[in-house]
Amino acid sequence: MIYAEVLLEAAQVEGTAFEVSGQLRALQKAVRSSIALRETLADRSLPASTRRALLEKVFAGFDPALLVVLGVMIERDDFALLNKLSETYELCAEQALGAVIIDVTTAISLDDGLRTVLRDRFSAQFGCDVLLREQIDPTIIGGIVLSSHGKRIDASVASQLERARVALTTSR
Amino acid sequence: MRKHLTSAAGMLATVAASLCAVPVVAFAAEETAEESAQGIGLLLPKLGEWIPMLISFIILWVLLAKFGWPAFMGMIDKRAATIKDSLEKAEVAKLDSERLLAEQRAELDDARRLAAQIVADAKTAAEQVRSEIATQARDEAQAMIIKASKAIETEKKAAIAQLQGSVADLSVAVAGRVIGADLSESEHRAIIERYLIEAGNLNAN
Repeated sequence: MIYAEVLLEAAQVEGTAFEVSGQLRALQKAVRSSIALRETLADRSLPASTRRALLEKVFAGFDPALLVVLGVMIERDDFALLNKLSETYELCAEQALGAVIIDVTTAISLDDGLRTVLRDRFSAQFGCDVLLREQIDPTIIGGIVLSSHGKRIDASVASQLERARVALTTSR
Repeated sequence: MRKHLTSAAGMLATVAASLCAVPVVAFAAEETAEESAQGIGLLLPKLGEWIPMLISFIILWVLLAKFGWPAFMGMIDKRAATIKDSLEKAEVAKLDSERLLAEQRAELDDARRLAAQIVADAKTAAEQVRSEIATQARDEAQAMIIKASKAIETEKKAAIAQLQGSVADLSVAVAGRVIGADLSESEHRAIIERYLIEAGNLNAN
């Protein structure tokens, strides 16, 4: 996918390939969760310049190369390929960086000790370096949620409470 | 009838013969009457009157026998035939009437039997319908009771499930709040480390 290749090249020049992958994932999540934003950015009745300005305004502070590539996609009416861009970019970035990106969600920020534990554990599993894409989500209450390449390990307190709730609800 | 008429004709001939014999006696009596014009001789006809009378009688008798008697007998025969025919017709009519009467009686009996059968069938059908209605009503009532029981049971289960769910939701929400509020950072980290040990392999197929 040409957009992913161009974005990766630009990010590598800036040395922000890993950060861009996180921003791309965050942008993808934001667009997915907001119907109004998604429909407005994909609305062909609006001028491309207007939609591009909206994108830059909403996601100000994101990597400029990312915003430029997305702006081109809007102008060429390819914004619907955002999910494909994210997946392809992540694979390409992992290859370029020689590491596996793992999304880590916790209720509190990780300290260096936990990061070391995580890297050691999953480096051994994948046989290569591991990059942790951290996210803090208090709704998981405690524990940790890990995901990579479509696989997910939910070891959060919230999920355990949910399992307990289901067991209480379905038990007689 | 003809037999009676024949015997009557025979009697008439006998009378006529007797009458023919009477003049002989009369002649003998007349001789004696002339001798004695007194007594019975006053009652007996005179011979001069009696012979023409006899001749007239014979002529009349011959004429009647020749022309009157056949016509009379023809009328009698015709009348007898008519009467016989009427009697035969009456007999036939009587037989027909009796036959018709028997037929009507048979038809009446059939109609009565048929009516009785219809009434019996109607009673049987009515009894069957009554029985079916009663059975159907009983079945419907039973089905309604079962349905109502099931509905009650379902409602009961739904209410229990809803209550159970509400209790579970409330319990989990309270537990989550308590755990979230009570966990210190060190406890958070300890939980993460413990869960990491228990967590599976992200690279597993």
